[in-house]
Amino acid sequence: MSEVCVRFQGVSKKYPHFLLDNISLELPEGSILGFIGANGAGKSTTIRILMGLVRQDKGAVQVLGHSMPAEQVAAKQKIGFVSEDMRLYGAATLAWHMSFVASIYPDWNQAYADALLRRFDLKPQQKIKGLSHGQRVKAALLLALAHQPRLLVLDEPTTGLDPVARREVLAELMAVLADERRTILFSSHNTLDVEQISDRIAFIDRGRIIAFDEKEDLLDRWRRLRLVLPPSAVLPQLPGIVEVGGSDRLPVLTTSQFDPAVLSLCKDRGATVQAVDSMTLEEIFVANVQSRRELQPA
Amino acid sequence: MNYAQVNYSMVRRLILKDWYLNRWLILGSIPAGLAALAIILTGKLIALLISIILLCMVIIGVGAQLATVTTVNERKEQTLAFMMSLPLSWREYTAAKILANLIIFLIPWLIISAGALGVLWLPGATHGLIPFTAIMAVEMLVTTCLIIAAGLITESQAGTTVAILCSSLGINILGFVFAHLRGISAYMWGQQVHWSPTALIVLLAEFAMVPLLLGLTFFIQSRKTDFL
Repeated sequence: MSEVCVRFQGVSKKYPHFLLDNISLELPEGSILGFIGANGAGKSTTIRILMGLVRQDKGAVQVLGHSMPAEQVAAKQKIGFVSEDMRLYGAATLAWHMSFVASIYPDWNQAYADALLRRFDLKPQQKIKGLSHGQRVKAALLLALAHQPRLLVLDEPTTGLDPVARREVLAELMAVLADERRTILFSSHNTLDVEQISDRIAFIDRGRIIAFDEKEDLLDRWRRLRLVLPPSAVLPQLPGIVEVGGSDRLPVLTTSQFDPAVLSLCKDRGATVQAVDSMTLEEIFVANVQSRRELQPA
Repeated sequence: MNYAQVNYSMVRRLILKDWYLNRWLILGSIPAGLAALAIILTGKLIALLISIILLCMVIIGVGAQLATVTTVNERKEQTLAFMMSLPLSWREYTAAKILANLIIFLIPWLIISAGALGVLWLPGATHGLIPFTAIMAVEMLVTTCLIIAAGLITESQAGTTVAILCSSLGINILGFVFAHLRGISAYMWGQQVHWSPTALIVLLAEFAMVPLLLGLTFFIQSRKTDFL
């Protein structure tokens, strides 16, 4: 059984207008967690607590065996961090940044850094202020990867990237996944990016984790059922229904607990199952968030 | 490593980083300060006044710009997130910022202050002005420490600007007050250097303010728990 790389236990943090509420999650070594939430849902706060940059009011955080924030220096030796709101020094060159970061991390791999320079088509002598947004993200990713971290924390790294730069960044992340011991936490509100690389998914909304599961299990359990109901029949009570749409005669049900047995249950109640549609991660996320917000209005 | 320990090697790297990023500001200020000093050599009273104003502008300007760039801009331009992603603690970051600002500022300050005192030491110059000049030079060091403290503690442009304004005003008011203290004014325009007890007390009090301000800044910053 693999070791736990990140462990949150009942973590809370209160701000005047926001509460990160009782976050608990475990990330085994080698896993890739897609952390999905709308803007302001609590992704960045969770990540800042993970990095030791914000102290939680309640609960315990362990990262790579270190208690955070007390042992953040030791933990950050093995963490690579790239955030959408992180900038490098505009007046300095990428070469200077590489040399600066290399002087801090004993595990800096210059050959790998050079390979990333070529792959990302970056020029080390160029000043950061002369780089495009996409190049800056790639430069930050290079600095985070070249010291060979055990945990890679990416907070919305693909936000604002053009399609080509996004594809390059994601391709490099896919290549990084070849190292089975490396754990990745990838936060985004772009579910397409997350779906491509993650093996686990966490949804966060209004400061609460509302789903935390294996990606395949999540995709398997969520389905949209298109039914045809005869005039005399009533809508069957099915498990895990989170949304009912369509019309009285042609209802569309969204379930979070799909099972093939559901189909025979529908037939038994006189309904005809016209179609069983798979759902994308984005559809699942939106349906999940909306159903919870209806149950617990702000 | 224990949370309370400070990794001095990391602090040194961070100081060198700030030096590298601000080297042109510092290296540019030295010839500007020396040029302002050269104006005194014309020997006219108006030249002395212009030179004093220019010297104050250069020294205060460097201190204010340095503190703004290394502290406020680090948050404003979002390079703080990059720095804090590195394996360093907030204590190390704060210690490095205080030391970097102080050490880097001391380079032009020492050169320009020594130049000013050197000019007053020349034959024919008003040697009695030397204690007052030394007091005002140290006063500028103290005000720079105040700006550094404001920049680090408030991490805001507004807070730092207020400190810069207070410092500029404070220098003028304190300069006026010191120049009218009997123990200083009585010897100021003489040809002999006279270190009166008043002048020495003012100078020592100013020197004591430097570690006091910076130590207090470190103490306050060390108690912060949220950095981004």
